Amino acid sequence: MDCTNTIRMLQDGIDGRLPSGESEKFRDHLAGCPSCRAEEASLREVGDLLRLWAAVRAREGEPQLNALWTRVKAGIEEGREPWYAAAARRWFWLPVAAAIAVFALLFYPSDGTRAPFHPIHFDVSVETLESDTATVALVDRGKDLPRVIWIIEDAKS
Amino acid sequence: MKESGKPVLPDEELIRSALGGDDEAFRELMERYKGRAYGVAIGIVGDPDEAQDVVQDAFVKAYYRLKDFRFGSNFYTWFYRLLVNQAIDRWRKRSRAPTVSLDESWMSGEGTMPEAVAYPKTPEELAGNRELVEGLSRAIGALPEHHRTVILLREVDGLSYDEIAQVLACSVGTVMSRLHYARAKLREALKEFREG
Repeated sequence: MDCTNTIRMLQDGIDGRLPSGESEKFRDHLAGCPSCRAEEASLREVGDLLRLWAAVRAREGEPQLNALWTRVKAGIEEGREPWYAAAARRWFWLPVAAAIAVFALLFYPSDGTRAPFHPIHFDVSVETLESDTATVALVDRGKDLPRVIWIIEDAKS
Repeated sequence: MKESGKPVLPDEELIRSALGGDDEAFRELMERYKGRAYGVAIGIVGDPDEAQDVVQDAFVKAYYRLKDFRFGSNFYTWFYRLLVNQAIDRWRKRSRAPTVSLDESWMSGEGTMPEAVAYPKTPEELAGNRELVEGLSRAIGALPEHHRTVILLREVDGLSYDEIAQVLACSVGTVMSRLHYARAKLREALKEFREG
């Protein structure tokens, strides 16, 4: 393995990603090449220093991290739903469904201008029978509806 | 077993308990990952207070989304996705200029030029060299957001390429190229520092 190939493989070599055959050749080359060895060492050094740096920064923050659970717990409590929220979410469809049903009953199949079950049209025929004391009106409101009888006394409503 | 004698439960068991309403189980999960989470968060957002907010928000979000967790997958990969997205959102919302060049970051007038020193081998040694810590912070902060995130997940958290790709919802090829770029840029910055 030459220097060009070794330099190209440096990252994989450091991260242990070279296949075993390649890895052996890589190590053999490093063993006999001071310049590639220095390159490899300088890249490893980056990782070593980063780990030390992270350890130092983590130690600096350690006293505050001791209170982390208190802060996390407070955050959890803050985000927690009130007891009724889950029930409300679970049953929210019920009032919605009821409202939809009522709405449908009110207007279907009407055109929206009448109350439910109100016939769109019906035939009315009125027959009146007059007597000395009263007027009797028979109102026929169709086959499906009852016959209505009004008895109106004379001079009275 | 822990020193206290309390058994160390696997993540999935804690998740099951937490889903059953056991907040202490969730707390245990949080305690397990808060340090690593903070390390990633501060790397992305830079500011310690903001990093804590990010970690807090990510855990609160995780609590409410725990029901979406797929058993059989890694909790930290799942959680880190929330964390990283939270951190990136926070970082984007801030109006801090994200594109300071590396040379400027190392040699900015705000900080003194770090003196050339042998690199530390332990966190204690590094902590004793504030210039290097601050210089590193600036150099990391100067990386484009996605490159910074990739290199932190790889080098600090040791996530595999596949895991990083999952966390960031990108391809492994993208992870490789971002990692390559980030390493090269940081190495360049360290060279500047060394030659100081």
